[in-house]
Amino acid sequence: MAQIPNLDNSPLNLTAIREQSQKDLLNIVKSIRGKKCLVIDPKLAGTLSLILQTSVLKEYGAELRILSADPLQTECPKVVYLVRAQPNYMKFVANQIKNDEPKGLQREYFLYFVPRRTVACEKILEEEKVHQKLTIGEYPLYVVPLDEDVLSFELDYSLQECLIEGDTSSVWHVAKAIHKLEFAFGVIPNIRAKGLASTKAAELLNNMQLEDPVNMDNMGMPEIDTLILLDREVDMVTPMCSQLTYEGLLDEMLEIHNGCVEVDASIMGAQQDGKKVKVPLNSSDKLYKEIRDLNLHVVVQVVRQKATSIQQDYAEVKSTNTQSVSELKDFVKRLHSLPEIARHVNLAQHLQSFAAKPSFHARVEIEQVILEVENYETCFEYIEDIIQKQEPIETVLRLLVLFSLTNAGLPKKNFDYLRREILHSYGFEHMSLLYNLEKAGLVKRQESRSNWVGISRALQLIVDIKDPEKPDDISYIFSGYAPLSIRLVQHAVRSGWRSIEELLKLLPGPHLDLKRGVSTISSSEVLPGSVGQQSTDRVGHRSLVLVVFIGGVTSAEIAALRFLSSQEGMGYDFLVATTKIITGNTLLRPIIASSKEGMI
Amino acid sequence: MSSSVSVAAEWDLLSDRFYRRITIYSPLPWSSPATTTASSSGGGSGGVGRLDLSTHIVAAAPFGGPIAAVRDDSKIVQLHSEPSRRRLLLFSSSGHPLASSPWTPHLPRLHSLAFSSSLNLLALLSDGSLLRFHLPDLRPTPSSSPVPLLPPASGGVADAVFWGGGVAILTEDNRVVVTTDIEVDDPHPRELADPGVSEDEQVLCMAVVEPQFVMSGSPEVLLGVGDRVVAVDEDGVQVLGEALEIGPVQRMAVSPNGKLLAAFAHDGRLLVIPTDFSRIIFEYECDSALPPDQIAWCGLDSVLLYWPEVLLMVGPNGDPVQYNYDEPIMLIPECDGVRILSNSSMEFLHRVPDCTTLIFGIGSMSPAALLYDARDHYDKQSAKAYDNYQLISSSLPEAIEACIDAAGYEFDVSRQHTLLKAATYGLAFCSQLRHGRFQEMCKMLRVLNAIRDPEIGMPLTIQQYKLLTATVLTGRLIKANQHLLAFRISEYLNLNPEVVIMHWACEKIAASAAIPDIVLLESLLDKLRLCKGISYAAVAAHADNTGRRKLAAMLVDHESQSSKQIPLLLSIDEQDKALQKSIESGDTDLVYLVLFHIWQKVAVEKNAPLDFFGIINARPLARDLFMTYARHSKHEALKDFFLSTGRLQDAAFLLLKESRELEKNPMASKGSPLHGPQVRLVEQAHRLFAETKEHLFESKSAEEHAKLLRVQHHLEVSTKQAIFMGSSVSDTIKTCIAMGNDRAAAKVKSEFKVPDKRWYWLKACALATVGNWDALETFSKEKKPPGGYKPFVEACIDAGQKTEALKYIVKLTDSAEKSQAYTRLGMDKEAEAAALQAAGNGDELFSRLKFTLGQNALIDTLRDRLSSY
Repeated sequence: MAQIPNLDNSPLNLTAIREQSQKDLLNIVKSIRGKKCLVIDPKLAGTLSLILQTSVLKEYGAELRILSADPLQTECPKVVYLVRAQPNYMKFVANQIKNDEPKGLQREYFLYFVPRRTVACEKILEEEKVHQKLTIGEYPLYVVPLDEDVLSFELDYSLQECLIEGDTSSVWHVAKAIHKLEFAFGVIPNIRAKGLASTKAAELLNNMQLEDPVNMDNMGMPEIDTLILLDREVDMVTPMCSQLTYEGLLDEMLEIHNGCVEVDASIMGAQQDGKKVKVPLNSSDKLYKEIRDLNLHVVVQVVRQKATSIQQDYAEVKSTNTQSVSELKDFVKRLHSLPEIARHVNLAQHLQSFAAKPSFHARVEIEQVILEVENYETCFEYIEDIIQKQEPIETVLRLLVLFSLTNAGLPKKNFDYLRREILHSYGFEHMSLLYNLEKAGLVKRQESRSNWVGISRALQLIVDIKDPEKPDDISYIFSGYAPLSIRLVQHAVRSGWRSIEELLKLLPGPHLDLKRGVSTISSSEVLPGSVGQQSTDRVGHRSLVLVVFIGGVTSAEIAALRFLSSQEGMGYDFLVATTKIITGNTLLRPIIASSKEGMI
Repeated sequence: MSSSVSVAAEWDLLSDRFYRRITIYSPLPWSSPATTTASSSGGGSGGVGRLDLSTHIVAAAPFGGPIAAVRDDSKIVQLHSEPSRRRLLLFSSSGHPLASSPWTPHLPRLHSLAFSSSLNLLALLSDGSLLRFHLPDLRPTPSSSPVPLLPPASGGVADAVFWGGGVAILTEDNRVVVTTDIEVDDPHPRELADPGVSEDEQVLCMAVVEPQFVMSGSPEVLLGVGDRVVAVDEDGVQVLGEALEIGPVQRMAVSPNGKLLAAFAHDGRLLVIPTDFSRIIFEYECDSALPPDQIAWCGLDSVLLYWPEVLLMVGPNGDPVQYNYDEPIMLIPECDGVRILSNSSMEFLHRVPDCTTLIFGIGSMSPAALLYDARDHYDKQSAKAYDNYQLISSSLPEAIEACIDAAGYEFDVSRQHTLLKAATYGLAFCSQLRHGRFQEMCKMLRVLNAIRDPEIGMPLTIQQYKLLTATVLTGRLIKANQHLLAFRISEYLNLNPEVVIMHWACEKIAASAAIPDIVLLESLLDKLRLCKGISYAAVAAHADNTGRRKLAAMLVDHESQSSKQIPLLLSIDEQDKALQKSIESGDTDLVYLVLFHIWQKVAVEKNAPLDFFGIINARPLARDLFMTYARHSKHEALKDFFLSTGRLQDAAFLLLKESRELEKNPMASKGSPLHGPQVRLVEQAHRLFAETKEHLFESKSAEEHAKLLRVQHHLEVSTKQAIFMGSSVSDTIKTCIAMGNDRAAAKVKSEFKVPDKRWYWLKACALATVGNWDALETFSKEKKPPGGYKPFVEACIDAGQKTEALKYIVKLTDSAEKSQAYTRLGMDKEAEAAALQAAGNGDELFSRLKFTLGQNALIDTLRDRLSSY
C-alpha cells in the first residue's frame, strides 16, 4: 500500500489538484538541465511524499538532499533549493552557498520558494549577500490532499502565528488556496465563518474574487456549496481532550506524519528488531477506512470478527470439497484482506498497551470531570500532582489549558501557585511560555464567570452514551463529549449561524455569514441537501461542504464529520481542509519550543 | 454588361493573367505646399510637409504603414521655402504629415532608413551605427546617441539590407554583419563567415533570405561578387549556380515567400531562379543592359524593374507590361502586390483576383457575372433579372461567394456596394450559404474603409489585413495616434480595448503638461472606466515617470490590485497610504515590502528608528510583523522598539533570551565567574518586569531565577561538578539528593520555599533512581507524608521494584489508587479486590477494569490465532 493516497472516491476531483502539483514540480526539475542536487527543507520533503514518488525526481537527474545547517555534500554543478519561505531556511541556504566559496566551487544555484517568494526571506538573502548568486523561482504548492476527504495547507505554525505573534500570513495563504480551488471548482456560494482569522480569510477570499475573478461563464454549478471556516481558537477545548478513536489514538500515541506512522518492525510482527517501519494510513486501505473513526474497543471487535470469519471459511474450505469455483474465488479474494487485518491487529494491540494503562484511564476520567466542571478541587490536585511528578510538560499543559478554558481562568492564588510550580519543576526558561499562553487566553487568571457550562448545555456537548457500539451522535467520539467545533458545523449546515447567534457571541472572535454570486437558488438559510424540502427537490444530489480549520484539526473531529455525513437523511458530504492535523501535544509542542527559544 | 466593360478596360494582360494599377491616393498633400503648411503638425516651420523622392532618403513600412524621409545631403538640392536644417519627416501612406523632428547635426552620413516590424523607425548611419525612433513622436529610443552595429575599423557601411526583424550590413572591407534582434535596446550583431571577396573584386549586389525561410533559423545573405553569387551564413560560404553560368549579377530580389530569386544579369537578362540556384525557371531579355534602379516582386507571379521613367513588369510568359512615369517613384513590395509611391500619388499594382476576373472579365458568362448583371437589371426594374437568376440557380452559392469576395478586393467604396448588392440579390434566393459570410465581409470592409480614409491613410488590402490581424492593426493605429479609431475597431470586433486605452492614457498624460491634475484625472478616468480590469497602476506609473506625482497618486487610488498598487505608492513616496493599503490587503508580504521600504528610507535620516517605531506602533499588523522579523535577525532594533514604546515586559523577555544564549555558549558555563553576565541580564529583566505592576509574577520569577543561578553556581563550585547550571529547582534538589547531599537539598528547599508535597515527590523519586531503598523507607517513616504514600508507590513501581512497592501500597488510603497500583504490578486479583472495596464509584471502576483486562486477553488470543493460521 502506498503512502500516496488513492483519491478516486473523493467528492471533488482532488486527483487533478495533485497532478497539477506533480507537473509543476517536474517542470521545475526538467527546466534545469543536467545533473542537479535538489535540496528540500525537512518538512517539505514529507509533504512531497504525498504528491509523488521521490524516485521520479531521480529519473530527471536530481540527487536529493534534506536542507540542514551543515555544508552541502554533492558533486553536482547545479544546486536547486526547494524550501518554504521561512527565515531560518534562508540562513541555511546562505551558509551552504558561502561554504562553497572558499573551496572554489563554481556552482549554479536556484532557489524555489514554496509556495511563493516573500520579501522578508529575500531580504535575509540580500543581507547574507547571496541573493545575487541565486536564480529565484516559485513552486506554488498551496494545498496537498492528505486523503480523499482531507486537504492540508501544510502550515505548521498557523496557530501560534495568529494567536500569539499576530502574524496573519497563514490567513492569506488559506484564502489564496481556497481561491485557487474556486478556479477549478467554481465560486462557493455560501460562506460561514467564525473566529478572527476565519472571518478575515472570508473577507480576503471576497477581495481576491474582485481582484482576480473566477470566470463562472464556462463552468456549471459550483461543485462546493458551502464553505465553513473555523478558527481553532474558537474551540481549544476539543484538542486538549484525549482522542479515543482508532486514528486519533494512533496520532496521539505514535504520531502520524504525512499519512504514515513509524513503528518498530517488531510491533508489526517482523523479525528484525530495532528497525523502524513506516505504515501508511489512508482510505486506500479499505479496512482502515472502515475502522479509523471507531472507538478503539469497537475496532478490536471488528478486527476480531473479520479474522474469525476468515478462519471459519478456511475451516470450511478444508473440510468439505463441495465449493464451486466461484465460491473458492470468493474465498481467495477475502484472503487478500488478510495482510490488512494483520496490520491493524498489530497496531491495535500496540495501542492497547498504552490505552489499557490505569494512568490513561485516570487521565480520560479527569478530562471528563474537567469538562463537566464538577469538582474543582480534584482537578486542581490532579494537575498539581502531575506537575510535581514532572510528567511531560505537554501532558501538564493540555490539562491545565482545558482546566483554565472551562473555568474561564484560575483564581489568582491558584494561577500563581501552579505557574510557580511549573517554573520550579521545568525551569525558569518557561516564563515566556506561560506569558504567551496567558496572552493567547489559554491559561489565564479568572476575571469573569465561566460560560462553559452554558455553552455546553446549549449545544449538548455532554451526552450519555447509550450504546457505544451503535452510536447515534458525534459524542461517541470522546465517549460522552461532543466536540464543540463539530457541533458548530452541525448548526452551520443545518440552519446557518442565525439560530445560534447569541451563543456564538460567547465564543472568541466575530462571525460572518456570506452569500456570493448572483444565481443562488434558494434564498433561505437552509442548505440544499439538508433535511427539508430541498432534499426532496433534488433527489440523489449530495451537496458538498468544505470545512476549513485555521489552526489545525484533530483526527477525532474529522471522524465526527464523517460520522455526520454518513447519518441517514444528511444530504451532504464534508471535505475537510486544515492548516495541520493536530493532537493536543503537537499543537502545544511548537508553542513550547518557540517560547523557550524566544522566537515568539 | 456595359458597367463591367469599363472595369476590365483598365487591366493589363501579362502572360494569361490580368494586372491592375489602382490609384489609392492622389494628389498627395505633400505635393501642394499650401495645404501642407496648413495641416502640418510640425508647428510653424513652413515646408515641413514637403517631400521630393529624388532629394530624400525615404523608407516606407509595408502593410500600408507610414513613410519616413530625411533630405539626402549627398545631393545638391535647391531649397525653396524650406528651412536649411534637415528634419526627419513622418507621413502616413496618404501623404499626411504625422510628425517631424530636427535631424541631429554632426552625425555620420545617413545611409538608409527602414521600419522594423513593430514599427520603430531605424536609421543606419554610414559608420555602421544605428539610431532608433519611437513612433508616433519620433522620440529617439533608447537614447539619441547611435548604437554601433559594426566592429571598429570595419570601414563603414558599403551596403545594407533591412527586413522586418533585422539588418544585414556589408562593410567597406567586404565583411557581412547581421543583426537579428534589432528591436531590443542593445542589439547583438554577429559577423557571418568571410565571403571571400578578393581585393580586385567588387560586390555588385546583395539580397537577404529572411530567417523564417531558412532551415537554420538564421538569415542567409546572397552576394553578387564578380561573376558568381555566394550565399553567406554563420557557418560558411557557398558559391551558388556555377552550372547555370549566369555571369555577373547586378541586382537581386528575393520573392515574398523566400523561395525564388529575381536576378538581373550584366547582359540585360532577368532571371528567375530558386534560391538554391538549382535551375532557371524563366528568363527575359531586356532592351537595356543597364541595371535597373529598383527591382521588386509583385506577388509571386511577376517581377518589376524600374529605370528612370520606365517601370517594366515581367511575367513568366508573353510580353512584359510597361508603365511610364515622368517623376521618380519608389516600389513598396507588399505580400500581394506592390505599392508605387511617387511625388504625386500612391498606387497599388496587383494581380486581378480570380473572382473579380469572373465578374468583370470581358465577355464573362460566369454565374458570378450573371448575378452581378441580374442585380443591375433588378435595379432597373427589368424582368431580365429573373432570367439571369434562372440561368444560374444551380450555382448560386458560388456566384454569391464570388461577389462577396470581389467586394473585399475593391478599394472603391461604390464598387464594393454594387458587388455586395449583387450578393444580397442572390442571397434572397439562397439558403445554403454559410451563415454570417456576408456579415463578416461587411464588417471587414467597414474596418478597411475606415483605415483607408486619407485622414488615416492605411491602404491595406483584405489579404494584408487578414495577414496582419486586427490586433496588430489596432496596435499600428495607436502608433499613429489614432486612438479613437483603434478603440472603435476594438469595440466593433469585440477585442479587448485595454491596450488602446492604456496607450491613449499614457499619450494623453504626455501631451497634457499644461492641464491641471484634477481635470486631467477626470478625463483619464472617463476613458479608463471603459475597460474593466485595466491597470490603473500602470497609468499612474507613467504619470509619475512624466513628473506628475500628484496625478499618479490620484490614479493609483483607483487600482484594485494591491500587489500592483502598493509598489507604486511606495515609488511615489506615499508610504503611509501604502502601509495602510497593504494592511487592508491582508497580504503580509506586501506589508513587509512597505516596512522594509520605510525602514531603509528612515535609516539614512537622523531620528530614524523613532519615526519608524511611531509609524508601526499605531498599526498592530505592521507592528507584529516587524517584531516577528526582528526576532530573527534584528535584536537590537527590537529592544529599542520595546523600550521606546513602553513594552518593558517584552524587553525583559528579550533579555532573558539573551541570557539563555549566553548559557548555551560553552565559554560562559563550567562554574566560572563568567556566569556573571548571565545573572546580570536576568537581574536586569527582573527590574524591567518590576516597573509595571501587571508583571509582578514575572518579576518575582526572574528574581528567583537569578537566585537559582547563583545557588547552582555555588553548588558547582562546592561539589566540583558542572551538572547544576540550567536545571530547574526541582531537578537541582533531585540531583543533590541523588548525590547524597541532603543538606544542600534541604537548603534549596527552604530557600525556594518548595512545598512539602513536591518535596516528597522529588525525594522519593531521587532515592528510587539511585536505588537507595533504605533511605526511602527511612524517609517514609519521618512523618506522615502530606500527600499520602503515592510518591513512594510510584517511585518503586517506576523503578520496577515490586517488593518495595508492596510495602507502600498497603499504606495507600484510597482504594481506587490501591487497585490501580496492583494493576500496574500485574496483580489482577488484588486489584479486583481493591476495586470492590472502593466505595461509591466501585461499580464503574470494576467494569472498566474488567473491560481493559478482557481486551488484553482477547487481543492476545486473536494474535495467536492469526499467527498460527
